[in-house]
Amino acid sequence: MSRTRGAVAAGVLLTLAMPLAACTKTAEAPDASTPAPLTAVLPDRTKEQNIDLGRQHRTALEFYQALRKEANNGRPLQWSQLPDWSGVYSRPANAGFAFDPDQKPGEGPTAKLTPEYQAKLIKRVEDVKKGIEWDPISTCAPPGHPRWLTEPFLREFIVTPNQTWLINEMVNDVRRIYTDGRDHVPAEDRYPIPNGDSIGFWDGPKLVIHTNQLQSGIYQRQHPDYTDQVETVEIWRKADDKTLSVDVWVYDPPALAEPWYVKQSYIKLSDPDRSLRIRYWNCGENQNNAVVQTKEGGTQFRGFTFDKGADAQKGKR
Amino acid sequence: MIRAFTTAVLALGALAITAVPSLAHHSATMFDDKKTITVEGVVKKFEYTNPHSWLWVDVTGKDGKVTTWGFEAEGPTTLQRSGIRPSDFKVGTKLTITGNPMKDGKPAAIWVDAVRADGKKFNPRAGFAIK
Repeated sequence: MSRTRGAVAAGVLLTLAMPLAACTKTAEAPDASTPAPLTAVLPDRTKEQNIDLGRQHRTALEFYQALRKEANNGRPLQWSQLPDWSGVYSRPANAGFAFDPDQKPGEGPTAKLTPEYQAKLIKRVEDVKKGIEWDPISTCAPPGHPRWLTEPFLREFIVTPNQTWLINEMVNDVRRIYTDGRDHVPAEDRYPIPNGDSIGFWDGPKLVIHTNQLQSGIYQRQHPDYTDQVETVEIWRKADDKTLSVDVWVYDPPALAEPWYVKQSYIKLSDPDRSLRIRYWNCGENQNNAVVQTKEGGTQFRGFTFDKGADAQKGKR
Repeated sequence: MIRAFTTAVLALGALAITAVPSLAHHSATMFDDKKTITVEGVVKKFEYTNPHSWLWVDVTGKDGKVTTWGFEAEGPTTLQRSGIRPSDFKVGTKLTITGNPMKDGKPAAIWVDAVRADGKKFNPRAGFAIK
């Protein structure tokens, strides 16, 4: 090898080695622009601690404000620090659709109800034993929050610094959580809406949410009613690579004798061929799904049909 | 061909909730979860729709009369998670299908499982399993 050739070869090797050295250096010592991992001030608490914590506060708003104080007001999320909530998730439904995943099979909901709402629940359960049951979402009304937490369909969660979107496939349902520091709608201008008004703050990787301005509904079938005074506090976080875990406290003085604490989980679905897609959910597209409430209060199909005229009426309920 | 079965009733306490076939969106109390019915027939139509899908099956009785049975399941993405796609049940597909029938005797049921003539099995409830 000539001296010139040797110099060229050495230069090529040096050129190839420099990016490699740079990569090695990067791997060993993160660049100064690499964001530090998000850390939370709020501790992870046991179920018993969370139940007790909810009882310490008279209202959901007081509780939310206490969490905010404990978290030193939280910290705005940066685009460079977004937690990875990507993927398609669903709520485990192996044990049914109970609001409290810890509800035992065959037993009633775990809420501590006021006498009036306990009596309503007993009647509802007794009616079901007689075959009488009507679900308010039967005519394609949205489930609304907090029932929103229980539906067993596909979900996506979109995190940005100023808003987080919590999406449920069912009836194209999106909860928008504002984390830009805005307050709720003034009390005098509030009106009941299915998913209410949600504001929140980030405590490191944890999203803390307060929701008010909700509409009355039911937590699920064979579950209690909630009133339009219902409010919730939630703490969302990624528990592991596949699990979004949510502590939920429900306050509803007319119906709940004390706040109802439940822990929800949403599991990231395996999707190796990337075939899972949330599609537009047209609840009225098939006339054969139309049900009506009977005189007794039960549920019955309107009638089945396949003729072309009926098909042309798709979407008209 | 139609076969009917009766299953055991769950023993429940006074305040215990009642076991009802679970369908999201509307109550399933019009169906009898204590009975199953199995029919053999051919697919008339597969409505792959929200909030529920319907598999309609033409069943020929001993007298030669054709009755169309409807089998209700969850919507498209839950069926997809069960491995059930629109192309699995083209019009004319032969199958044996089982469900919880309606209490009032109408030819409709909650779809529990199905076996196509080629032996492939389909369980629409599997779509709620987390995988």
